[in-house]
Amino acid sequence: MAANIFEKIITNINKNKLKYIFLLIIVLLILPFVVENQYVLHIAVLTLMYVLLSSSLNVIVGYTGQYNIGHVAFYAIGAYTAAIISTRFNLNFIIVILISGFVASLFSLMLGIPTLRLRGIFFAFTTLGFAEITRLTILNWRSLTRGPFGIPGVPIPQIFGMRLSTNTHFYFMIFILLFLMLLMTYRIINSRVGRAWISIREDEQASASMGVDTFKYKIMNLMYGTFWAGVGGAFFAYFAGYVSADSFILDESFRFFAMVLVGGTGTLAGPILGGAVLTILPQVFRSFARYQMIIYGVAILLIIHYKPEGLLGGRTFKRDLSESEDN
Amino acid sequence: MFGFYLSQLFNGITQGSIYALMAIGYSLIFGTLGLVTFAYGDIVIFGVFVGYYFYAVLGLNLILAMLLALPITFLFGVLVEKICYEKFRKEARMLMLITTVGFGIFLRSASQIIFGTGNKSIPTLIEGKIEIGNLNILYIQLGIIIFTLIFIYALRYFLNNTRTGIGIRALSMDQDAAKLVGVNVDKSIKFGHSLGVVLGVFGGIMLGSFYNAISPMMGPNLGLKAFTAVVLGGITSIPGAVIGGYILGIMENLAVAVFSSGYRDVVAFIILIIVLVVKPSGLFGKEVKF
Repeated sequence: MAANIFEKIITNINKNKLKYIFLLIIVLLILPFVVENQYVLHIAVLTLMYVLLSSSLNVIVGYTGQYNIGHVAFYAIGAYTAAIISTRFNLNFIIVILISGFVASLFSLMLGIPTLRLRGIFFAFTTLGFAEITRLTILNWRSLTRGPFGIPGVPIPQIFGMRLSTNTHFYFMIFILLFLMLLMTYRIINSRVGRAWISIREDEQASASMGVDTFKYKIMNLMYGTFWAGVGGAFFAYFAGYVSADSFILDESFRFFAMVLVGGTGTLAGPILGGAVLTILPQVFRSFARYQMIIYGVAILLIIHYKPEGLLGGRTFKRDLSESEDN
Repeated sequence: MFGFYLSQLFNGITQGSIYALMAIGYSLIFGTLGLVTFAYGDIVIFGVFVGYYFYAVLGLNLILAMLLALPITFLFGVLVEKICYEKFRKEARMLMLITTVGFGIFLRSASQIIFGTGNKSIPTLIEGKIEIGNLNILYIQLGIIIFTLIFIYALRYFLNNTRTGIGIRALSMDQDAAKLVGVNVDKSIKFGHSLGVVLGVFGGIMLGSFYNAISPMMGPNLGLKAFTAVVLGGITSIPGAVIGGYILGIMENLAVAVFSSGYRDVVAFIILIIVLVVKPSGLFGKEVKF
């Protein structure tokens, strides 16, 4: 069965691309053995984490065209769920990560039901509001989240009696999560569900008239994307060993958004490039750290002005019929 | 106890006036451009900071400094329109939406670097208070309410009785038809947008003067509140925006009185969700598709 699926995937990707994908995977696998500098390795873990998070946003923004600009909320919910569960119960970290993903996904369902029936702008604004509300709730609900003090002492994850505490361990952990995410997303995008998502992005009315239950597919899409944001958050909780509301400010949302847009919406490779470039660049020019968010803002403006589909973009923006009608 | 609620109600009306101003500005921008903006709150805060800069750094008289900020933000509005919208008027709407997100990030982080991240205090524009029983009414509160009403009536006159104003209204109804009857679309869009920005900044100055504090980080939250007020009132309706603003201000302060002040900003969000579930066209709006 597994071999069958694998064969299918390989035949679907063209040979040339496959070469690069294998090369990239090999380089990424060797990296932690070659690099000895712990700081560089730490940045490598963060880079993969941001690639995971921006890829999860890309599922929503890039494939279905729903502008979720409060993605940080689901990342925060994932991180806090993991921190709360793992400090109170003795559960395996894999289970905790899964639960965190589902909890984030559940919140997105509650947010999606009232907003996804309406046109995209309401959804965009509500997600922005939701991100702020999530942060405020974290700060105020002291009995659960310890408010401004954050939750320290997230236990070190263990598997088969091995304690996963070094940067190398976390590197492989996030590498596997990212690999699973991309593989799964690739399979979904090339299925009936993925085609429904893309058709909604291209023209929602046309897609509905072809018999696609657009509301259902939008909800599915949102839940899938936010599941991975929750997983990313749970990983962050383990990696940092500490969660606090300061890590989940709105700027973080805009950072994911910039990564997706700069890399290219609606392709799997786009957020990988965008996430990597926009995580590594600010580290290289660390003296410009204060200007980080300015760079993100300018990057978004420049991309939209000169290459709206992003560096590796796979979609074109066009005005659809329903838009020109009422203007 | 009753006095406490009464003074919270009065605070709510004051704050509602401010939200009403911002909501009108927002609604004007929506009318002329046909889409929402995510940079509104950040632009408003930037405008207030321009005034603050004149006052605190150049040492101008407080009222003069704030008045000077208004024409400058008007020009700034033209610049924003050029960067975020002009090129994309005939293209997919999402592009404009994204440029406003990008511009908002840029402006907020630039303001943080120029003006600092912390709260800056603006002294009250008008000092003093009246006491009625145990109800304290500050002069600044009365000033805000009166100024808001003056502004609303001036705007009404402008939109109904001047050539430019009628042009803006025509634009918000049908852009192509407005063009056909000789409205200068480009100029009207720029004017309408900048006017919306100036109204917001005026509201922002009132807010800063009422709370004595402004910070670049307030932007997204203010934008969300203006949007909520506009959606509550019905997105294309200016009287709706005013009423939406007042309802939001009053609800917020009553919620603070009943629960705790930590949840102040949650109120706007809850109202937004309820409106979207129950009546997405708002209280006074026509059925509009977005």
